Amino acid sequence: MAGCRRLSGAGLREVLGPAQGLLFDCDGVLWAGERAVPGAPELLERLRRSGKATLFVSNNSCRSVAELERRFSRLGFRGVRAEQVFSSALCSALFLRQRLLGNGGSDGGPGRVFVLGGEGLRGEVRDAGLRLAGEGELGSGDAEPVRAVLVGYDDQFTFAKLAQACGYLRDPQCLLVATDPDPWHPLSDGQRTPGTGSLTAAVETASGRKALVVGKPNTYMFDCIVERFGVDPSRTLMVGDRLETDILFGKNCGLSTILTLTGVSRLEEAQAYMASDSAAAKDLVPNYYVDSIADLIPGLDE
Amino acid sequence: MAAAGGGRRCRRLEGEAARAVLGAAEALLFDCDGVLWRGEAAVAGAAEALGRLAAAGKRLCYVTNNSSRTRGAYTEKLRRLGFPPAEPRHVFGSAYCAARYLRQALPPGAAAYVLGSAALGAELEAAGVPHLGPGPAALPGPAPADWARAPLDPAVRAVLVGFDEHFSYAKLCQALRYLQRGGGAGCLLVGTNRDHRLPLEGGAAIPGTGCLVKAVETAAEREAFIVGKPNRYMFDCVVSEFNIDPARTIMVGDRLDTDILMGNNCGLTTLLTLTGVTTLEEVQGHQESDCPARQSLVPDYYVDSIADLLPALGD
Repeated sequence: MAGCRRLSGAGLREVLGPAQGLLFDCDGVLWAGERAVPGAPELLERLRRSGKATLFVSNNSCRSVAELERRFSRLGFRGVRAEQVFSSALCSALFLRQRLLGNGGSDGGPGRVFVLGGEGLRGEVRDAGLRLAGEGELGSGDAEPVRAVLVGYDDQFTFAKLAQACGYLRDPQCLLVATDPDPWHPLSDGQRTPGTGSLTAAVETASGRKALVVGKPNTYMFDCIVERFGVDPSRTLMVGDRLETDILFGKNCGLSTILTLTGVSRLEEAQAYMASDSAAAKDLVPNYYVDSIADLIPGLDE
Repeated sequence: MAAAGGGRRCRRLEGEAARAVLGAAEALLFDCDGVLWRGEAAVAGAAEALGRLAAAGKRLCYVTNNSSRTRGAYTEKLRRLGFPPAEPRHVFGSAYCAARYLRQALPPGAAAYVLGSAALGAELEAAGVPHLGPGPAALPGPAPADWARAPLDPAVRAVLVGFDEHFSYAKLCQALRYLQRGGGAGCLLVGTNRDHRLPLEGGAAIPGTGCLVKAVETAAEREAFIVGKPNRYMFDCVVSEFNIDPARTIMVGDRLDTDILMGNNCGLTTLLTLTGVTTLEEVQGHQESDCPARQSLVPDYYVDSIADLLPALGD
């Protein structure tokens, strides 16, 4: 079982030295709201100069990769390219493209996707070559069937949309996919806002179906990373702030994990999982932790 | 009589057995949708059957998970469809029972934030429970950041989730804020029922209250207290009003996982009618299973329709 050891001093060099690359979660790791975590931009710059690959894997399904690229720049992170960024919005679109367009799709064409989510998510689905239900239709005559319902972060979610999703899901061939399982997200004032997980629970309950969840802790986003970059898990570190998603994702993908304490999870929670008897709890324990990712800087060469 | 410790046989209720079981009963509790009526159409013969039961001096009560009607609306529907006269006190809807629960569970002056219908609001009003929330969300701005800054009512000490056609992310957001306030300890989370779907004519269905309860529970990472069947709170309300004896009471319903399960758990005799959502094959599946939880879904008796009780109630 992972030991949840503070990473500092000589330990930093021992762990960072051999690493070829690092995967970073974004919210609560690189930034909190509109503020970069102090030292985070410098860390990424130092990693680049050390020749280590940096990739970003985020469950946030609001933003398109293009928006995220602009966000990195706006918050002071230099040189981050869109191809380094794997959001659950992008990966959900890739997943749907694979299932609906790949292998020739099903008879009758790829069909449409009913998206519960914002414009960032909708854009990624369109960019993947899929058509959205409710767009460009001339009326009930243009009846390409809806072959997937995609649940993302939808701050315009309503009972009517829930009912509409259920109508499509009466067809057992229609997929139910969720961008991520997160039950809530922190706001800068310490309050919480509901996450995709809560909306997915409503759709699952109404439809009697279980959603295929693209985001962390499931490993599909890592498959997307490997396909694009050919990463070696044994030489890659996962850095995140949420035990139930980031750290479990790392464990599931065979990566060593570092918990940073600038986000959702508290050290006490990691320690409680470590003390628990349950096997499942042990998978939520990180190998290492730091107070902030800026603490990693001394582990890199000058 | 109800079989002790499971092993219920789901026998067709007819002939001598029907006469004996109905004769011994002092009270009957009826679910409504799928038992007495479907939509606006009464089940043929149901009104006569209840009329004869009433004439025989049986106490009749109506126990429904539907949270979008008041007790008054139910008595009016019973009257309209020709059932024996009923007063609101005979009707135990989940809206009314949720209001009773909150009146007893909340400190004086405390309010409830409600995801629910005007009817749920009306029952809370009648019970003297201050509340806010029914209807579309009153949004102080277009974005979630605005909603999270809207002032919270300091009196709110409970979130109540019922059937809510105005359910939205904004309301879910408000519910979560109340549940999280003060570290989460001081706010109750109550749901009227967990029904997944409300069946419509023709096989379609709309999402049920259970979906909305699950959304709130998931966001808040806690479990709601559920008022409705199969939990026993609504039965406790019936007992407190009429002092019935479970051993002499029959629960009549069309759903195994709500009506029959509650009846079995409360020690009632349970009677399944097939005019609603359940088929005999489903019951047989549970009967043949080894799983004790599935066994507790099996009723003592069944009928194709409650009109089948008429011969046993003849003079």
